[in-house]
Amino acid sequence: MSVVFSEKKLNRVKELVSHYPDGKQKSALIPVLHLAQEENDGWLSVEWMDYVAGLLQMTPIEVYEVATFYSMLNTKPIGRYVFEVCQTGPCMIKGSDDIIAYIGEKLGIKPGETTKDGMFTLKKVECLGACGYAPMMQLGKNYREHLTKEKVDAIIEECRKEARQIKEN
Amino acid sequence: MESLTNRSKPVDRRPMNLWEKIYLPAVIKGLGITLKHLFKKKATYNFPEQTRPFSPVFRGLHILNRDEEGRERCTACGLCAVACPAEAITMEAAERKPGEEHLYREEKYAARYEINMLRCIFCGFCEETCPKDAIYLTETFAPANYQRKGFIYGKEDLLIPFPEKENQPVTEKP
Amino acid sequence: MPLGLIMAKIFVDNIEYEVPDGKNLLEVCLSLGFNLTYFCWHPAMHSVGACRQCGVINFKDENDKRGRLVMSCMQAATNGTRISIEDPRARAFRAGNIEALMLNHPHDCPVCDEGGECHLQDMTVMSGHNYRRNTFKKRTHYNQYLGPFINHEMNRCIQCYRCVRFYNDYAGGKDLAVFAAHDDVYFGRQEEGVLENEFSGNLVEVCPTGVFTDKVLRKHYTRKWDLTSAPSVCHQCSLGCNILTSERYGGIRRILTRYNGDVNGYFICDRGRFGYEYTNSDQRIKQPSKNTDNSSQPLSTEDALHDVKDSIFSKKNIIGIGSPRASLESNFMLKELVGENNFYGGIPKRESDLVHRVISILHQGKVKTPSLKEVESYDAILILGEDVTNTAPMLALAVRQAAKNQPREKAYALRIPQWDDAAVRESVQGQTGPVYLLTTHHTKLDEIATKAEYAAPDDIAITGFEIVQQITRLSQSANGDESSQSFTASVARDLLKAKKPLIISGTSLYNTAIIQAAANIAYSLKDNGKDAGLVYAVPEVNSMGMSMLEQKNLDDAIGRAKEGGVDAVIIAENDLYFRVDRDIANDFLKNCHHVLVLENLQNETTTKADYILPAGTFAESTGTVVNNEGRAQRFYQVYKPSNEMRSSWDWLNEIRNSISGVHAENFDAVVDEMIKKYPELAKVKSVAPDANFRKGTQKIPRETARYSGRTAMLANINVSEPKPPVDKDSPLSFTMEGYQGVPPSPDVPFFWSPGWNSVQSINRYQTEVGGALHGGNPGVRLLEPSNENKSGYFNQSTEKFSRREGEWLVIPFYHIYGSDELSVKGPALAERIPPVYIAMNGKDLEKGNLKDGDHIEITFNQNKLSISVKSENTLPEGIAGLPKGFKETTGIEFPFWGRIRKV
Repeated sequence: MSVVFSEKKLNRVKELVSHYPDGKQKSALIPVLHLAQEENDGWLSVEWMDYVAGLLQMTPIEVYEVATFYSMLNTKPIGRYVFEVCQTGPCMIKGSDDIIAYIGEKLGIKPGETTKDGMFTLKKVECLGACGYAPMMQLGKNYREHLTKEKVDAIIEECRKEARQIKEN
Repeated sequence: MESLTNRSKPVDRRPMNLWEKIYLPAVIKGLGITLKHLFKKKATYNFPEQTRPFSPVFRGLHILNRDEEGRERCTACGLCAVACPAEAITMEAAERKPGEEHLYREEKYAARYEINMLRCIFCGFCEETCPKDAIYLTETFAPANYQRKGFIYGKEDLLIPFPEKENQPVTEKP
Repeated sequence: MPLGLIMAKIFVDNIEYEVPDGKNLLEVCLSLGFNLTYFCWHPAMHSVGACRQCGVINFKDENDKRGRLVMSCMQAATNGTRISIEDPRARAFRAGNIEALMLNHPHDCPVCDEGGECHLQDMTVMSGHNYRRNTFKKRTHYNQYLGPFINHEMNRCIQCYRCVRFYNDYAGGKDLAVFAAHDDVYFGRQEEGVLENEFSGNLVEVCPTGVFTDKVLRKHYTRKWDLTSAPSVCHQCSLGCNILTSERYGGIRRILTRYNGDVNGYFICDRGRFGYEYTNSDQRIKQPSKNTDNSSQPLSTEDALHDVKDSIFSKKNIIGIGSPRASLESNFMLKELVGENNFYGGIPKRESDLVHRVISILHQGKVKTPSLKEVESYDAILILGEDVTNTAPMLALAVRQAAKNQPREKAYALRIPQWDDAAVRESVQGQTGPVYLLTTHHTKLDEIATKAEYAAPDDIAITGFEIVQQITRLSQSANGDESSQSFTASVARDLLKAKKPLIISGTSLYNTAIIQAAANIAYSLKDNGKDAGLVYAVPEVNSMGMSMLEQKNLDDAIGRAKEGGVDAVIIAENDLYFRVDRDIANDFLKNCHHVLVLENLQNETTTKADYILPAGTFAESTGTVVNNEGRAQRFYQVYKPSNEMRSSWDWLNEIRNSISGVHAENFDAVVDEMIKKYPELAKVKSVAPDANFRKGTQKIPRETARYSGRTAMLANINVSEPKPPVDKDSPLSFTMEGYQGVPPSPDVPFFWSPGWNSVQSINRYQTEVGGALHGGNPGVRLLEPSNENKSGYFNQSTEKFSRREGEWLVIPFYHIYGSDELSVKGPALAERIPPVYIAMNGKDLEKGNLKDGDHIEITFNQNKLSISVKSENTLPEGIAGLPKGFKETTGIEFPFWGRIRKV
């Protein structure tokens, strides 16, 4: 698989760069990395990061710095469903540690890891701005709030079911 | 002035009387003391066949200790040397190379470690300061030697023997 | 108004102090001598307020009992500021903060190389955080291989970010970065490999704990308190950076920066820091010896002196060859011994002429040469022909700082304080001020250059003269060539626009015209009312000093020997095979008949010597050297070697004693003799206190108060403890007894203060943080410009470079690791020497049907050299570049015309 953007995406990159003053094309890095992540099953390989570095005239090491900093940018392959559990203060007080441990135990993985079947990834993330609904996590584009062990069980089952359906179709 | 011990005696300067002048009773008394000591318990020991009992806090000759796997504990941090009031300890550090993990516990070790036993005052500060439990003062003391050179103790003198055969960690034994 | 001029009254714990207005409170408190903890702040890199370790309580006024917690590094000291360092809440905050920073810090101080000089240890003790309560598992990291200089141990990191701030923002490095976030931050390279920046060694001092440690020290590790140290001057280039050289068990263990607010400040380059290993080389000459063609017989000192007297000094015509890497005193004693007319400087004519030219420009011209530190204050820079990163590395670091000046003015205009590093950088946005480079090929400073142009050496000079014309034109006519975008026009415009323009040039291309052109530009700027500066880099540590004593050069000596006018030669610390072609050196030594060499390392010259006397390197000798600025600086013997090594001037003094009975009592007597003969060197006397100097009745100890193992160190050699050696040449003693306070600034053997065991204790030796050392910065300038400009403008005497058919002009390329004579003999530095090559323009390669990596043979003056080619497209056509000083290119006299043939 070659590591290049399609014509359409390249135009999008051009447009993103044009938001910033001349010579500050680096500023477009994060949205461009998101584009790259979409191309590569939700994660950034070294090849893709180097490619982006070339596009934006940066050194690769600068791209790695940014890519490793943000939890929304993945530098390792991720599963189909990513549980991003908030670990910041309010959620922690409401028991996010237990939730993380429970998910980990249930799926047999540690935070940051992906299950062998490539189905689930568990991540600890910083505040997602839903402290009123703590403990919570982000799954895909949705928030799952007021988590309990039972709710976690249900979410996992729901994901498995959905995956099965997709497979059958 | 008040005396310090209450055991001082004023000096008797009176002239001696006849009894005292013939000296014989005093001589016999003195011989009696000597005779009494012949039958007393001896103050000396037949060292080295016999040894004196040590106090439990006796501080004798140093050893360099090994850990439970037989690796040298000393990491040549230099704290014993800097704590030594007699400045009698010196060492040179070396870096552990790959493959020597079974010999040295830490990544740094003492390539040379010397104590000048002529200077050592056996205060035990080195033992007290050691962060790695590597140096201990034992219950033996430095044996006599004909040459002063013999009192410079190197690593080979201080390090306790390897518990098992060379290059074979204890843990591998059944 | 510049900072520091207005004073402000502040109250620290209810006591009033007068401090410079506008500085930050942390600086001010440290300058006042308070113990206040910090990590991310560094005097050269200022505040970012990241570590939260310097918290103090700030009160509104005297009635405010509650106050608020502020970070002292982010708060300006203004009139009426009231703070409390000792407030229990502030203390508790600092102790709690350090406990949090230390959560993951391993308990490996005994193993760690930083132990005993660790800023983190100091700060932990200072904050009062004694016992760790955290019982959880610590996070761990993989460590990287970072090359032969730096050891990486990431687990010890406390995330202060000083390393990347120094490496990237200050020194312009590109290959160290910070990865990931929150409790998983990682400082390292993108993959294992050598840290490329020339200043990477400073990470050892910048890192507050043991993440980056000295890998060369690690090979012969010794704790700071066990080192015998002496103030010294780096001998690896002409800048004369101040260093601390440390010894134990008769070997040099490491080199640290010795702060000098006028020269190198807080940093030194990697060649200076790691280039000392040759002093421990097994090639060292340790014993006097008598050599015949196939045998070498060791001699005792007495026999050697006797033999030398009989077989060398019985001859009629004895000449002496000095050296630019020997001290002033050694060169002077040699001159005394052989007589005024028989002393020859140890460098060929073309180099000698250049250095003499530089001296006369700095002395008789009207433009001041700034000190290395002052270079950082200039706001427009033009570099003519010098690859400063490789010939004078610290000058390149200073240029990098100076380049930030103009953009920073904008930030200061927004009333952002100078010390607010993050805010200043945010407003500067990575811009650099006017820096123009005119060099022969691409150099590392190009990345900060406004414009870089490449030309042949002669063309560089011609462009330089054109810039002078442009300056005159621009200043004379109001409607000058404002619009021209040509290189010369924009240089002239920017130099005239600047407040303080600086011209940098040097001797590295062996081109007098470049040096003259640089002087002319500086003169014309001065004539236009600018506060212009002029810096020249010269070849070696004491090139300036030796040239002040020398009237005749090596070529003169070679000529005289050829005519048969020499019966014997004395060579002091000079490898002639490094200076001139092999055949010439061979002939010369043969023509001299009898050869006496004073040298520290075996080299080709010593193989030809009849007698060799072991001379000390900078580590075993005391002396004065003069740097490129004309600053005379004293370096001191670090330890007394157990063998016969001693300063060259000492040997020559002994020889003189055995011949004529004239004996200088000690170093000071030699200096006195010298300044009597050469009154222009009179200031050398005041460079440092003389040997009689005492603080009270005490000398200054070279060993720390905690020095260990005195009665055991040498016991394996001799049980009876000898009297400690006496240093009759300096106010320093070889023991740990002596004055424990702050010594005079030229005589600081180590930095230490109660509670401050790390290099950060420099704060305690300065009048104010980042300012001068107590008693003034060391070193005395011997050259000041004259007001009447005796030398006047130079006439343009060069012609444009024209290429020759079938021949190439081969010019020297310099490498920080490789081009220096001695530093390359250390194993760590040798690892960094690139393989030898010849660089040519890609078009030239095409014409010759060559490609990168092809082997060619180059012929010149009967010499042949087989070498692989490398394309360097910035190099003008018709010119080739050959690394200077490499094993394969030793002794080649640049520049030369050579023929190139494909093999």
